Amino acid sequence: MRHGISDQDWNDYVEGRAGEGARDRIETHLTGCLSCWDFYEQMSRTDEALGEAGEEARRQLTLDDRQLHRLLRGTFARMRREQGLPQSQVRGRLTRLETVLTPFCGAQAAARALHAAARHSPASSLDRVTHDNWEPFLERLSVIAAAMCGETFASLVREQGLM
Amino acid sequence: LADKSVIEHFLAARTEEAFCALFEAVCVRLHRYFLLRGLEAATAEELTQNVMLKVYRQAGELRDAGRFYGWLFAIARNELVSYWRGRQARVSTVGFDELPAEDAGRMAVEHEAAAGLRLTGWLKALDPADRDLVVLRFVEGLSYEELAEALRLPLGTVKWRVFNARKKLSRVINETAGGRARQHVH
Repeated sequence: MRHGISDQDWNDYVEGRAGEGARDRIETHLTGCLSCWDFYEQMSRTDEALGEAGEEARRQLTLDDRQLHRLLRGTFARMRREQGLPQSQVRGRLTRLETVLTPFCGAQAAARALHAAARHSPASSLDRVTHDNWEPFLERLSVIAAAMCGETFASLVREQGLM
Repeated sequence: LADKSVIEHFLAARTEEAFCALFEAVCVRLHRYFLLRGLEAATAEELTQNVMLKVYRQAGELRDAGRFYGWLFAIARNELVSYWRGRQARVSTVGFDELPAEDAGRMAVEHEAAAGLRLTGWLKALDPADRDLVVLRFVEGLSYEELAEALRLPLGTVKWRVFNARKKLSRVINETAGGRARQHVH
């Protein structure tokens, strides 16, 4: 809040998006307050400088066609590799996660956590977890792990699931 | 507008062909975001690929093309956070194989390009979370609604934080300009 004008109204005014009422109020105030006029000018100059700096970054940080296609080829190569992985590897990952969970919360709770994560993810059940729906499943399991044993444990689960 | 139709087509079709078009439209923005957030070129490329893979796999979660950029940069931001966490967790040092000269040259050029920008210097004055805001708002041109989605924050908080980041940057930019003017006089 500055001289009765909220930060949000100042923000909208500097960006030229203030509603008519707020704009009139600020402009009336600016005609009689030199320090706010200085403040407004400073914010406007900053906005302009940021606009120019953003334009400069967009101009300088580009990818040429060769780089772009190398990245695209690499992405497809990874996609193919992952699609080609057998379902047995998904089972292996699930077993590893169960091994991580068990010492912290017991075998039954570990199994329940895995089933709940699958049920509340696009896989819908544990035997339907695949590479394609692995990410949301793991995300859900991390949330459950965080609720059960805290954030540090959830990070550990996530790390193991990503390996 | 071209981007919008590419995004809509991908979300509707979700074919590899549609993904290629989407990749060409958005890949440069992701790569630039990672460079401006301080990553080296090779890491920026790797994380860009990670994000695009997730976009391909998880596109079914997104129905509204208008929310695409907020969703995309939320994934990118998570990827960046995971990367930093992983880096902090690694305790042993890893030996780097010697890079082929061509790759080393390319990485050096790209790293210099980001390091030489005015914005890179200004961002150092901000907290990491505010750097995200400034890059996504002033370089990538995200709307406040998209920023709120990308950063998982309420709209009012996003506006307040952009305003505060602008105030902080105003001081930094003034000091930089003042310093340059003094150098010029001397």
